[in-house]
Amino acid sequence: MGAGIRFNVMHFMPYVHLPENHKDYKTTWVNFPNKFYDPEKGYELYQQYFDQLILADRLGFDAIVLNEHHNTVYSMMATPNVVAATLIAQTRNARICVWGVPPNFMLPNRLAEEYAILDVMSKGRLEIAFPLGTGMEYWSYPVSPVTAREKFKESLKIMLQAWTADGPTTHYGNFYTYRFLNPWPRPYQKPHPPCYIVGSGSPETIELAAELGLGYSSVFVPQKTAQDLNQRLRERAAHYGHTIRPEQLPLLNFVYVAETEEEAEREYIIHLQRFFEDYARSSPQWLAPPGYLSVEQLKIRSAGADKLHGGFDFKAISNSFFIAVGTPEKVANLIGEWTQRMGTNHINSVMHVADMPHWKAVKNMTLFAEQVMPKLRTAGGAR
Amino acid sequence: MSKFVREELMVNGVSTVVHSAGSGDPLVFFHGGGTVDGFEFAEAWTDRFKVIVPYHPGFGESGDDPTFTDIHDYVLHYLELFDMLKIDTLRLAGISMGGYIAARFAIEHGQRVRKLVLIAPYGLNVPEHPTLDLIATPGEQIVPMLVSNFEVLKKNLPEKPDMDFIGARYREATTFARLFWEHPFDPKFPRHLYRIKMPAMIVWGQEDKIIPVGQVRHWKEKIPHAEVLVVPDAGHIAYLDKPETLDTIARFLK
Repeated sequence: MGAGIRFNVMHFMPYVHLPENHKDYKTTWVNFPNKFYDPEKGYELYQQYFDQLILADRLGFDAIVLNEHHNTVYSMMATPNVVAATLIAQTRNARICVWGVPPNFMLPNRLAEEYAILDVMSKGRLEIAFPLGTGMEYWSYPVSPVTAREKFKESLKIMLQAWTADGPTTHYGNFYTYRFLNPWPRPYQKPHPPCYIVGSGSPETIELAAELGLGYSSVFVPQKTAQDLNQRLRERAAHYGHTIRPEQLPLLNFVYVAETEEEAEREYIIHLQRFFEDYARSSPQWLAPPGYLSVEQLKIRSAGADKLHGGFDFKAISNSFFIAVGTPEKVANLIGEWTQRMGTNHINSVMHVADMPHWKAVKNMTLFAEQVMPKLRTAGGAR
Repeated sequence: MSKFVREELMVNGVSTVVHSAGSGDPLVFFHGGGTVDGFEFAEAWTDRFKVIVPYHPGFGESGDDPTFTDIHDYVLHYLELFDMLKIDTLRLAGISMGGYIAARFAIEHGQRVRKLVLIAPYGLNVPEHPTLDLIATPGEQIVPMLVSNFEVLKKNLPEKPDMDFIGARYREATTFARLFWEHPFDPKFPRHLYRIKMPAMIVWGQEDKIIPVGQVRHWKEKIPHAEVLVVPDAGHIAYLDKPETLDTIARFLK
């Protein structure tokens, strides 16, 4: 990867074929009927998405990022490790980032094993993020959101212990008992693959990342909040004796590059709009199952949600979130500015959204790799 | 002006608020899995009993204790509270989740319960008359389903819910989910109901949309000596729809 900025392509692998009457459904998560999933169309989408991610490797992107969601059109990666295993076999250089499996939905030793297998299979190309899982995931899984944070913390401790201490070791906790924690194989990277925590800004999550000295990526929070969260993580990590490096702060963003600004907007905005309005359509109930948030956080987020629900406004959304749409120059300038402001050199870009056709995703990634990345590689990011 | 007097006690570290009024033998009432319905109705009993209405930990004015993960934690909590209040024997009534706590208390400490009233109690898994999923159903849909005539409940509700109201409901939903998200029903519970040997009454609104009246037969099977009172034109909180129910209950308890 060398010096300068690191570039990821993040993919959601959405199921794009929404039924005509999908607006009759309040949300496209949790209880959106799975009769609308056609496996033959699913097969074709997987082919396209794998083509895109294999192309990302060929184009010189530093990493490919996968994640996990359930009961939704938003993502066809309910089990991202399966997808990661396929990509490992078909890529050469890109790091494979599973960002990631919510540990609460797996036995922690099992997850430690799967990640270790992927790391060995890829000769150390794996990176991992630990999400708590969105509220929607808890509605879909038989796991209580009320104790989710405690359980999450215990899972992380078990996994890190499994990777860093010579086995067999033991663990006697509130949620799990291990009499012989001794997973084979062990990770290729020492002491373990790079780990991050992803979250939407809950103070509890930041504190955990700080305590463990892990990276942190905020997702779907406004720019100003993301900046505050990064700062808070640096401060809290210092309190625990850890120094957070710029590459530990991946910056999630949405990018589309075209020859002119008008063309970029014409080709892109409709898909971004569908992403927010249709593919990520959730509800306050799904987002905050009981106990998932503290009462305090619930009040803060309810107040924030009232402000967001004004319909899709591209300019407002672009100013609020990290979204760069336009010519290579414009996109490069924006990203350069973000890296400085956010104190990161790690750019995690969503380059395919919603029902974007294959050709646009290919064009976007190609232009980005050929005309944006070189500009920023030489410039470098925050150090 | 309410006749109830508010008292706050520390019960093994949990702040517990108790409202009481009236005189006579103690009658304790356990509220259900939410507190929007209030307890003012219980004034109807204060001419015959000393009525004691505690807020369960995690609900209403009482404090939180995240170590309460099982309904049995509430049984132990009330054992201690009754000792502190110097209540030896008592009449015990409970609605919905409060009926479940009352039944569990009566199973384990029958010698202290002189008479028991279970009003649309939660706790039995009856697939042919399923309990509404109180976790999956949004709160704003549940509230109007609590009674047949919504007017009787409306006076307890804000016209437009503010953040404090929303936060209070979320907190109570959290407490409820802590108990029931992963295991809504304890499969061992029905086999212990035979230990309810004191006089008992089961009260159910004919039009209950939360826990269907069809479940009454299953409770009666397990507690054969219990009197059954089915209240016509009444919902889950039958005594709000039909306040005369309260007098029938009081006469049974006397």
